[in-house]
This record gives sequence, C-alpha cells and structure tokens, in this order.
Amino acid sequence: MKKDENISEEQLNAFIDGELESEEISGVFDEAEESAELDHRLCRQRKLKELVKHAYRDVPEPSRRSPVGRMPASTLGMALVASVLLFLGAAAGMFLNHSLYQNSLPSGYETVSTGQPVIATENYILHVSSGDPEQMQRALKMAKALLSSAEEGAPRRVEVVANEKGLDLLRSDITKFKDEINYLASNRVVFYACSKSIQRLEERGIAVRLVPEAISGYTALDRVVLRMQDGWEYIKI
Amino acid sequence: MAYKKLLIISQRRAFKKLVVNNRGRLYRMAFAWTSDPQLADDLVQQTLLKALSNQKQLRDFAAAEGWLFRILANCLTDYRRAKREFLSGDNLELVDKATPEKWLKEEELVQKVRQAVQKLPINHRQVVTLVDLEEFSYASVAQILDIPVGTVMSRLCRGRRALREELIEVKAHEQLTPVVNIKRIK
Repeated sequence: MKKDENISEEQLNAFIDGELESEEISGVFDEAEESAELDHRLCRQRKLKELVKHAYRDVPEPSRRSPVGRMPASTLGMALVASVLLFLGAAAGMFLNHSLYQNSLPSGYETVSTGQPVIATENYILHVSSGDPEQMQRALKMAKALLSSAEEGAPRRVEVVANEKGLDLLRSDITKFKDEINYLASNRVVFYACSKSIQRLEERGIAVRLVPEAISGYTALDRVVLRMQDGWEYIKI
Repeated sequence: MAYKKLLIISQRRAFKKLVVNNRGRLYRMAFAWTSDPQLADDLVQQTLLKALSNQKQLRDFAAAEGWLFRILANCLTDYRRAKREFLSGDNLELVDKATPEKWLKEEELVQKVRQAVQKLPINHRQVVTLVDLEEFSYASVAQILDIPVGTVMSRLCRGRRALREELIEVKAHEQLTPVVNIKRIK
C-alpha cells in the first residue's frame, strides 16, 4: 500500500481545517514527508480552500438608503448625556432599590435591547410582520397603550414598522384599521412601510398603495436597527 | 435589584451589537448559498429580525454567532419550502452569463469559483462555505445545520471533491495554466 493511501480524504480535510489533534497532525506531516503524492494532495486541498475563501472575500452588500452605524450628532450628544445619567441612575438604584422601568409592558410582550436605560424606555418601535388582523390590532392597541402610559411632560415616541405580510396593515386597499391608524398618527405615532416588502410585491406585479399616514424608504431591519441605535426599545408583535 | 437590571441591559446591548456587527458576514454567507443579492439581503433581514425578537432563546451568549447562522440556514430552508426551489446549479442563472466577454483575470477566477460553488447541491454548498468562509468547526456546522458531525464531514468531502474536479483537475487535464498562480494573489 502506498503511504498516502493511509490518509483518507476526510482526514485530509480535517487536517487543513484544523480539526485534528496534535498527535494526528504529526502523523499526517510524517506521512507527507515520505509521500510526494500525499504532499500534493494536501497542497491541492489547501489551494481549494483558499480559492473558495478568495472568491467570497469581497461581496458588496446591496446599497441601503439608511446606512447602518451612522449616528447623528444630536444623538451622539444624547448618548453622552445618557451615559452620565446611566452612571448616576445605577448608583442611585443601588441605594434606593428603585426600578429603572417606570412603565411596565402588558404581559405577552417583550422588549429587546436598549441603548441607555434612563432615556431608552421612553421610545418604542413596534414591528408587525404578520398578516393576521388580530396581530395588527394588538400592535395598534400597544401603540395606544404606550402613548397613554407616558409620563406627563415626557412625551413618548412610538413607531410602527410593518413588513412582509404585516405590510397589509398599511395598504390602503386592504387595511381594516384606517381610523385607528389615522388617530394614532395624529397623536404622533409614525408608521413605516418596509421598502423591501413593497419592492417584492411590485416585482410580482402588485401595485402597492399605502395609507397617507405611512412613510416608506427604509427596510424594516434598517429602521429597527436605526432606532435601536438611538436607544429605543424594540417590540416584536 | 438595579444592578441586576443593569446587567441585563448590558447583555442586551452586547447582543444588539453582535447582531448588527454580523450583518456583513451573514450577507456573504447568504450570497454564497443563493448567488442572488436581493434574496441574500432578504434572508439576512429576516434572520436579524428573528434574532432580535427571539434573543431569549439564546441560552449561551458565547454561541451567539453560530445561533445567528443557524437562523439564517432555517430562513433559507423556509424560503426553499415556500418557493419549492432547490437552489441547485440547474435552476439558477449563473452570474457569469451576464458578464462582459473579457473579464480581468482576477474577476474571472472569482466568477469561476462562485459558479462551481453554485453547482454544488445546497446541502454540500452550505457545509463547504460555513467551513471555508467562516472557519466554523465541524461541531459548530453540525449545530448550525442540525446534522451529525459525520454528515458534515461526508458532505464536505463530496463538496470539495466536486469543486476540485471542476476547478483544479479539469484545468490540469486541459493543460492550462493552473487555476491560481499563488504568486499573483495578494
């Protein structure tokens, strides 16, 4: 039997992928020393791995209207102030055992991520991706509850972002919630329709007409990420 | 009490950062799996929104990256089920078709490799790219794709064999210049 036949293809892969124990690695090196064929197989396999890596080294992402990671100067200032408040809040909390959250959420909802706790609890972005009217109604009720539970003198900002089948919430020819949307919009709730979901429908030849209160231009993810970077709470309905 | 809440908040912030920072990596993987920039972007959006809304499912923060890629793999599976598409080389338009006649050598090489990867069955393609592009261990790939480690190894083996035949051995047989002259690569 030729020396290199002792090494299976699986072993060769494990060798180049760093999956072998040191003793096994030494074994492969020893055999490669004595077998030009094995040495060649190793080189070929490693070359293949490098080729695949190389082919996907630069994969430009599609351009987006709202670059992720950008933080407006005003937000940066708020972040600095909030950092100080965070420290003070933490210190006060240690002594006073005072809850950081003044407004608890209704059961069944969960919040995800915050920027700075003292300020972040004031603003919420609600995400609707379901076409179920009950879910849509929950989102609208939630927005209303959040508005009404804001402390006096500290107006809360709420946004509702709809994508995928949840986009139906904001489609003027489909939604069953025009009045509720209008009422909430007049109370400063902002409604965003995911640009990608709109694009998808239009590519299928479906004309998308939005309620006048709805804004588009961002993908749902970009809007959520942007708001989370500003310290908003994210709530998936 | 307040300390605990701060800890939770800190963990959530770290999680959010992780999600956002991994967007590019996820996109590259989604593109390698689908060869479709728009579909890849859609899959990444779904993945990140799912991750953000299901972060409580993540028990071990150290395993978060693998968890994200697992969500991505599940999103692709869901997409394929919904569309009944199999994303094999047979039913995808290869990127190369739309390219100008004279590619620069570098671009030509990239396209050839991507075509070869795209020709692999999706389950082989996923394993090869997770191992080669993201350097995930076999155990991690097994977790991401929810398959045994032995299956990871056999799929990797078959995938690489097919790539080798396509990219290296055919070239050698045709007595062309080797696919890659190492000296010409940075």
